[in-house]
Amino acid sequence: MIVIDPRIHQVLDGELGSDAVPAELRLTVARLAAAAQLLAVPLPGPLPSVETRVMAEIRRPAPSRARRLMRWFVTPRAIIFRVRPAWSLAFAVVAAALTLFTVGDQGPELAEHEGIAQFVGRFPEAQSVHVVGTFNDWRPGSIALEDQDHDGVWRATVVLPAGTYEYMFVVDGERWVPDHLAERLVADDFGRENSIVIVRPARR
Amino acid sequence: MKLWVALALAGCLALPLAAQSVRGRLEGRIPSAAIPAVDSLIQFAAQEGLPTEPLIQKALEGGAKHVAVSRIVAAVQLSLGQLRDARDLLVRAGDQPPVLPAELTTVAWARRRGLPAPVIERVVAALGRPPRAAALHAVADLVAHRFDPDSAAELIIVAVQQGVPRERLLDVSTAALQQVQRGLTRAEALAIVRRQLPNLPAPSKPTRGNVAGARRPAAPPP
Repeated sequence: MIVIDPRIHQVLDGELGSDAVPAELRLTVARLAAAAQLLAVPLPGPLPSVETRVMAEIRRPAPSRARRLMRWFVTPRAIIFRVRPAWSLAFAVVAAALTLFTVGDQGPELAEHEGIAQFVGRFPEAQSVHVVGTFNDWRPGSIALEDQDHDGVWRATVVLPAGTYEYMFVVDGERWVPDHLAERLVADDFGRENSIVIVRPARR
Repeated sequence: MKLWVALALAGCLALPLAAQSVRGRLEGRIPSAAIPAVDSLIQFAAQEGLPTEPLIQKALEGGAKHVAVSRIVAAVQLSLGQLRDARDLLVRAGDQPPVLPAELTTVAWARRRGLPAPVIERVVAALGRPPRAAALHAVADLVAHRFDPDSAAELIIVAVQQGVPRERLLDVSTAALQQVQRGLTRAEALAIVRRQLPNLPAPSKPTRGNVAGARRPAAPPP
């Protein structure tokens, strides 16, 4: 704590003349008097009142829509998540199930040299339809077509190595029928015609 | 010298093993009476450096279709003749023997689809090995749809020369067929497609749904 000599107070208050104090105090008295003079100088203008400042803000023209939008985007905002562990767990289970279901529905992964062949035939009275050809060593029964909606149209989608294949449909295990929708046919050297499918690589 | 001896020994060992494997594929699939004749035809093909798989497939096809033994043997013999013709054709067109088995199969197959030999020779002589098979398939497609063989071959050769990749050559023939379906004559269709080269309609790709439902053929029983 700084202790000021009481005589200095008296000089500053005008109770004593500056000559009445010792010389070593006079310098301090002079400095304090100068500081008091500085503080006594009035400010350049009156401070605007709160009301004035509020009214100035109100009268300022509103920023454009784009500027407001930009300000909205750049202003940092706090986002609060309120989590109920039971619901979160249920959501995670559903998401995992959906993901597994979707992944399982994507079909086989195709190699670079593999492609997709679609076989479609209309056999309204058939009990079973298979496709046999050079892709399965003409082995009946290895690729069955399906008629899921029972409209007589049988279909199979098969992954095969890219290449050219000859094939026929086998209806009910005994009737050999060419694919009438195939654009390409070739004599089978046994008195009938084989259909031809050209499988192109799926990843081109 | 040692290398040649090793290769000869390997060849001597490989041929009987291959013969055993072929017999294994045929047994139970074609009448047993047909096996000796079919087997000997397949051995001939192997000794001549011809592909044997088309002959095996023809025999298996005959067996699956319950065709008589004589007809199975005749069909395999016919296939062997087609492969020999294909080899001669390729050599005539300038290929140096031994000719690649895949090339032989493709040429034999193109002949079976009705491509005249001179047209095949022209395509083979004009194009390098990689695009040949695809080019022959594309020309055969056009010829099967009654396009003039020479004009069809010309279009496909020009397509290759203009930079159409081999995997898109079938799209050239498809584009010509689409023009015919729109009512143009075949000559007009070829002319239009030729003018548009190397631009082609986008090829159809398997949809996600198709791929999702796709399955691989069941493996044959051992």
